[in-house]
Amino acid sequence: MRRSSSWIKHNLRCRSRSGLRLLFAFLLLLLWPAAPCALVAATFTATLDRETVTVGETATLSLTFKGGEPKSIPALPQLPNLQIAGEGTSRNVVIDNGQFSASISQTFALTAAQPGEFIIPALRAEIDGQVLATQPLKLTAVKADSSAANAAGEKLAFFKLFVPKKEVYVGEILAAEFQVYVREGVANAENILQGFEQYAGCPVKAEGVSIFKTAHAQRRRMRSGNSIYGVATLITSLSPVKTGPLTIGAMEVTLTLQLPLPNQRSRDPFDPFGMFQQYERRQVALTTEPAALTVLPLPKENVPTNFNGAVGSFSMSVTAGPTNVAAGDPVTVKVQISGRGTLDSLSLPEQNAWREFKTYPPTTKLDTTDALGLQGTKTFEQLVVPQSPDIKALPPVSFSFFDPDQKSYRTLTQPAIPLVVRPGGSAPAPTVAATTRAAPDNPPPAQDIVHIKPRLGTLAQIAPPLVQQPWFLALQAVPLLAWLSALVWRHRTEMLANNPRLRRRRQVAQIMRQGLLELRQFASDKKSDDFFATLFRLLQEQLGERLDLPASAITEAVIEEHLRPRGAPEATLASLHELFQACNLARYAPIRTSQELAAVIPKLEAMLRELQGLKT
Amino acid sequence: MSRLMLAVARFVVRGLGIGKAMPLLAAVVISLFPAQSPAAVSAAAFDSANKLYEEGKFAEAAAAYETMTKAGQASAALYFNLGNAFFKSGQIGRAIAAYHQAEQLTPRDPDLRANLQFARNQMPSPTLSPTRWQRWLGRLTLNEWTVLAAGAVWIWLLLLAVLQWRPALRPPLRAYVLSIAILAVLLCSCAAAALRETRFTRTAIVITRDTAVRYTPLPESATAFTVQDGAELLVLDQKDEWFQVNAGPRRTGWLRRDQVVVAGR
Repeated sequence: MRRSSSWIKHNLRCRSRSGLRLLFAFLLLLLWPAAPCALVAATFTATLDRETVTVGETATLSLTFKGGEPKSIPALPQLPNLQIAGEGTSRNVVIDNGQFSASISQTFALTAAQPGEFIIPALRAEIDGQVLATQPLKLTAVKADSSAANAAGEKLAFFKLFVPKKEVYVGEILAAEFQVYVREGVANAENILQGFEQYAGCPVKAEGVSIFKTAHAQRRRMRSGNSIYGVATLITSLSPVKTGPLTIGAMEVTLTLQLPLPNQRSRDPFDPFGMFQQYERRQVALTTEPAALTVLPLPKENVPTNFNGAVGSFSMSVTAGPTNVAAGDPVTVKVQISGRGTLDSLSLPEQNAWREFKTYPPTTKLDTTDALGLQGTKTFEQLVVPQSPDIKALPPVSFSFFDPDQKSYRTLTQPAIPLVVRPGGSAPAPTVAATTRAAPDNPPPAQDIVHIKPRLGTLAQIAPPLVQQPWFLALQAVPLLAWLSALVWRHRTEMLANNPRLRRRRQVAQIMRQGLLELRQFASDKKSDDFFATLFRLLQEQLGERLDLPASAITEAVIEEHLRPRGAPEATLASLHELFQACNLARYAPIRTSQELAAVIPKLEAMLRELQGLKT
Repeated sequence: MSRLMLAVARFVVRGLGIGKAMPLLAAVVISLFPAQSPAAVSAAAFDSANKLYEEGKFAEAAAAYETMTKAGQASAALYFNLGNAFFKSGQIGRAIAAYHQAEQLTPRDPDLRANLQFARNQMPSPTLSPTRWQRWLGRLTLNEWTVLAAGAVWIWLLLLAVLQWRPALRPPLRAYVLSIAILAVLLCSCAAAALRETRFTRTAIVITRDTAVRYTPLPESATAFTVQDGAELLVLDQKDEWFQVNAGPRRTGWLRRDQVVVAGR
């Protein structure tokens, strides 16, 4: 039983392996045309739903693993005055347009005990043998305004606009929070908060800013004064575009609040048992104080030469490949800029050191890790073609930006990448990969056509395509013939294996051909004994095959016992007797001439033909 | 490669004898290297045509390139430069036609694609623009698709033959045989689609300015609509010296043969 069970398991495992291989091959096949995006790489990201909280409030840190399962969930380091109030894990599987993706999310509720800035360091996790790291995150905790809280404590609902900074630089990105507070006890509080969280528009309004995206943070409950409120938070990312004072306002809304009526049982004659709750509807016009900021210009001192307007905090990595090429062959340079800032409008600065390379417009890909699109990685893939074998390296790649936290310009430079450039032949020009999305930083359209080619290249005869060439079509018959031949050979082999009489008939035919040759040789050599011994053996083999008896069991007696009952012609039987007699006589009178011996062979051949025609 | 060819030649000579083998080998060599000797001759003509282009004599350069293409041999660079010369001399339609010819030889050349797109961008509508599927299919030439499909079919049939010869290999190779069969079917479909696109779908490229497309194939017929030099139109039918073309929904008419260059077939 155990053996049977293990066999079934083994069989299933083999089948599943085979199936997996088949499935993999089929998926590979399907995804082949879209090879650049076929295999989804594992990712590990960390995001905060809010970047600024008041002391005692909770921000949610989410660690998301996609494209694989982590070996272990990384633990958060101990940060003074930042407590982990709770944590949870969720798994998510999405099939969208045939694309399968699975993710695991670990969330941590973080509560600040003191005001200040908390840096959550880069976290590392191992997914499928690959070690991935997140980017460091900053959480700012500010002191709660107790007077405002006490005043608000009497209200049923109110709005609050929160901007984390009072001074920002032009081009700097910031997240403005619009908070909706609805006091517990309001019957339709859930609907109101949900309505705000599903709001598709922008809750803030301001002049002189670029407004990007709006997302909502986790709903929370908090105490304000003597009351407890449910709080929905909408966060809008924006960036000032002009310097000077800036006022950020928020929308004004009139809400209808439903307040349960007390003692309804005694008053309502239609509901004497108080089964139906009745409400008082109260209209409340809500607005909030605008936030005043000052927008500072970017410093005019120490501006790097290749600064092209990037503001934020970034890191850069550069890879290139292949690094061993012929002159004229393309090298793909992949520049990844990660960090926080206006990634969407980020562009790769002009690389003056690439003068000795022919360059093609870069393709861009943006992967954001948060809902507001403030944090993530922008990847530039640029094809550069070394024009001369004298080039020894890809020059350093540099990128400059203004860091508003450090209030200074920073330049990131990756060292030169060694290249081996061989003298080129007539290598084909590189293919420019199509851009998957229209990037605003794409270069302007070409002003003229690409210049003529200096070399004639390989000349080809103008001929019909291969598919219309008779020799090519004829060539396709080769594998077909090979397969058909193998098929026929296999059928013949199997037929012989399953039919012993047929196999014996063919063996006997082979023995007869060989035996007749030997007989002729013995006759010419006058070897009478060998001649008749061979003759007798041939008769035994042929009769044994016809009568389905062992050859050794054949004697002259079979003529009467087997051949006559089967209706063999008398003449055949007589000839057969004669041949057997000749074999017997040869034992006593062995000396014969070659002619006499040779004269027996035609008789034997005739006899064999007759026997082969005999019904078995 | 040359060692292999020498070994084959030695085998043929040994098998057939020198008398029979020599004419056979000569025929094989001639058929394998038909383009070797005239290349040196054409390179000088190509350089002189390039010189005309650099001197700004675009029409003369175009004529020189065109003469070379009529010699029965061509290269992608030749058609590319011909397209450039036509473009610079203001003949956008002929330039697009030349770029199409070059595309048949090097469909993945970014310079070529850039110039073809640039030339197309000069065109006001109506014109025929390739679909995403046609662009994807056009990344390989018809011959490349054919070789890929034939290769897959060869591998599949040879695998089947091996399985007949060694039935014990059947279970481990079953998944591969099925995968290659599917691959072969897909590649054959692509090759068939490429054949249809390149040989059986014809595009008329208008080579004259403000060309009237007529309702019927008669010079006296009224004008249905007008197309510009460089417009690419789908050919629906042909009658004598006229092509019936389609330029979009309910925009069908007839153009004279001398007003267009037909690409495809």
